[in-house]
Amino acid sequence: MKIEPTLATGDEVSPVVAESEALHERVRRFARASLEQPPEAGEFEALALAIARFQAEHIPGYQRLVEARGVLLERYESLVGVPTEVFRLTRVAVHPASLDVARFETSGTTSGVSGEHALRTLATYDELAVAYGWRALTVFQDSARPIGPKVVVALAPPPSSTPGSSLGHMMQLFMRCWDGRALSLTPHGAAFDGASPARWLASPAGVDVEGLKRAARLALERQEPLLLLATSFALVALLEALAGAQIPAPRRTVVMFTGGFKGRSREVTRGELTQGVARVFRIPEEQVVGEYGMTELSSQLYEGSLPGSGLSGPPGVYLEPPWLRVVPVDPATLKPTPRGEVGIAKIVDLANVDSAVAVLTQDLVRRDESGGVQLLGRRRGSRSRGCSLSFESLLAPGRPA
Amino acid sequence: MSAGTPERAARVRALLDAARKIVDPEHPLGRRARAELPALTGLSPEGVEYALQHHLEVDATDAEIAALCASVPEVPCAHVLLSANVFVAALRALALGLAASPQVFARASRREPLMLELLSEASGGAFRIMSELVPRPGDHLFAYGDDSTLASLRAELAAGVVLHAHGFGFGVAVCEPAADARGEEPCAGEPALLPGGAPRSLTRYAELLARDVAVFDQRGCLSPRLVLVNAPDEIVSALGRELGRALSALEARMPRGALSADEAADVALYRDTMAYAGELCFAGKGCVGVDWQGRVMLPPVGRHLHLARTSDPLAVLAELRPHLTTLSVEGPPALVAAAQRALPKARHCRVGMMQRPPLDGPVDRRVSREGERL
Repeated sequence: MKIEPTLATGDEVSPVVAESEALHERVRRFARASLEQPPEAGEFEALALAIARFQAEHIPGYQRLVEARGVLLERYESLVGVPTEVFRLTRVAVHPASLDVARFETSGTTSGVSGEHALRTLATYDELAVAYGWRALTVFQDSARPIGPKVVVALAPPPSSTPGSSLGHMMQLFMRCWDGRALSLTPHGAAFDGASPARWLASPAGVDVEGLKRAARLALERQEPLLLLATSFALVALLEALAGAQIPAPRRTVVMFTGGFKGRSREVTRGELTQGVARVFRIPEEQVVGEYGMTELSSQLYEGSLPGSGLSGPPGVYLEPPWLRVVPVDPATLKPTPRGEVGIAKIVDLANVDSAVAVLTQDLVRRDESGGVQLLGRRRGSRSRGCSLSFESLLAPGRPA
Repeated sequence: MSAGTPERAARVRALLDAARKIVDPEHPLGRRARAELPALTGLSPEGVEYALQHHLEVDATDAEIAALCASVPEVPCAHVLLSANVFVAALRALALGLAASPQVFARASRREPLMLELLSEASGGAFRIMSELVPRPGDHLFAYGDDSTLASLRAELAAGVVLHAHGFGFGVAVCEPAADARGEEPCAGEPALLPGGAPRSLTRYAELLARDVAVFDQRGCLSPRLVLVNAPDEIVSALGRELGRALSALEARMPRGALSADEAADVALYRDTMAYAGELCFAGKGCVGVDWQGRVMLPPVGRHLHLARTSDPLAVLAELRPHLTTLSVEGPPALVAAAQRALPKARHCRVGMMQRPPLDGPVDRRVSREGERL
């Protein structure tokens, strides 16, 4: 959730915050430059190590982890990833909670225990999310029409019902940056309302099909693309609600889908989902674009399937922004797997300046021949050995000590 | 027919006598066990030897055998489906089958079929080894395995079969040390563990618990995985270090065996998570994760302990009840008694004895004597 920091005006900026600010600025400069031309060799690695050393200096937990792994953070290869489980167990931040401006909550997975990703500033998160999302979700090479605003709506619950959702924050950010108007032609010039129920078209009760039709109609009237931001399970709910019916929408409509199904809908393959959604809006399947992100990160990956966009890659393959790298690692040794082999994702995200620059997930990934990353589901614990059980399955909240 | 009828006890006693051949390192069956079990079980040769010498329950008393016979109903036909987690468990499982019926069909796990073969050969065919078990209505099936296997059985078995399902479980140690507990051996004449009371020497307590942990590399459903400690910070920290030392020392004598790739991955995850979120004490190839917040989590197998500091161990135990098979409580007598009252289906024992339950019935007492009629 977004919160007000309790640092009073006039309070002295601590050296930690000053160092953090300097690193944030370096990351944003790096990101802007890297979108124009490839970064210098070693630049990414040097910045990642600088952030890791900053975090080890100011977060005792990370320092203990680095020491336990017996590394000195002198080489990029020795960068130690923080398991995502840690976010559920303890605070992962260089700064005190009083300086938080946002706390994004992780979902509970099997244990039902959620964690949080605390942010001291959203400046880097917002700038980078918009910059890369724009490249992935916008058609640049359509000579017939200039790049203009879009009508942006979400097939997701409103932020008021999920105040700690990083996805909700990102969706609202895209609405503001790429649309920024009222979701209506009248009255002319009405103000943008990012929390308007007309933009958030899913709830536990189901999807708002009529609301989606209205948004599509508005995009047609404005002759603008419709951008629908959706969770995968909400799209499955939409397909079921429509039962084969279609929604007239602009030819340039783009649908972004993200996340798994988490038991909240029937599971469908990526192909079934994109085919079904493309049929609903009568658009090519390539305009249904996958996004991969997680609460513990500040950056996102996208499929490069949208023709004419700033990214290019085969469907089902996710492309990293220049400020993030996915390294498939062996789940036992945590060393990089040979190219093309499956590993769990160690994700180095330079935008995680104040939390964990390297995050170790349990998501199985493989580096694709095209250079992108294939997502292959989540690693399951060692249930094969009789009565063993993955440790996360038993995690219970702390009790008073 | 009563539980203690001579026929039932005699069948069990004959099986135990036969099993002595496997304990004997000079007997051909004993030699074969030592030669082949390390590869099949993943345990080190020393781990296999230790388990054969100390955990194959061949020396049960008459009273224990009578209790074992009383713990199962007498039935016309019994089936035994084994898991591969703890190779010596085949003996008790078969003893229960033979206590229940003169006609016993048994199936080993695909990963470790040897112990069943050895027991069959040693006993001159006291039971029949089957490649598939096909229990008929009215037959009793004693099944050991993970919960998903047992769920499949429930779905697939014929109606009328009686299932005794022994699934996932683990042991927990509770420690409330004496106020003057020290991380060292007690002075001459000073007890390390007070009778029915609190540990005074953390060193001795750690040595005893390390034995419980190391045997079978924690793959058994009695294996302690979690220690609940009610003590000041410095004592909790000292206990973590002592457990690390004790496990390291024991590993020098009884090396840990091989872990599967998945198990090794779980170890990496647990180790790094606890290094960051708690305190990590290295323990040979394993580790002890100290959690100051008292969060309960299950560390991976392979000699890893999660040490959770809590002021209310009974409340934590109550939440763990469905999974808890065995419990060692070392602390004030009132705590020991309260734990016994709160968890009547768990086996209660002193530390160091968690892997040595008497042969008086199933190790896992969560399952009713009559079983579950499908």
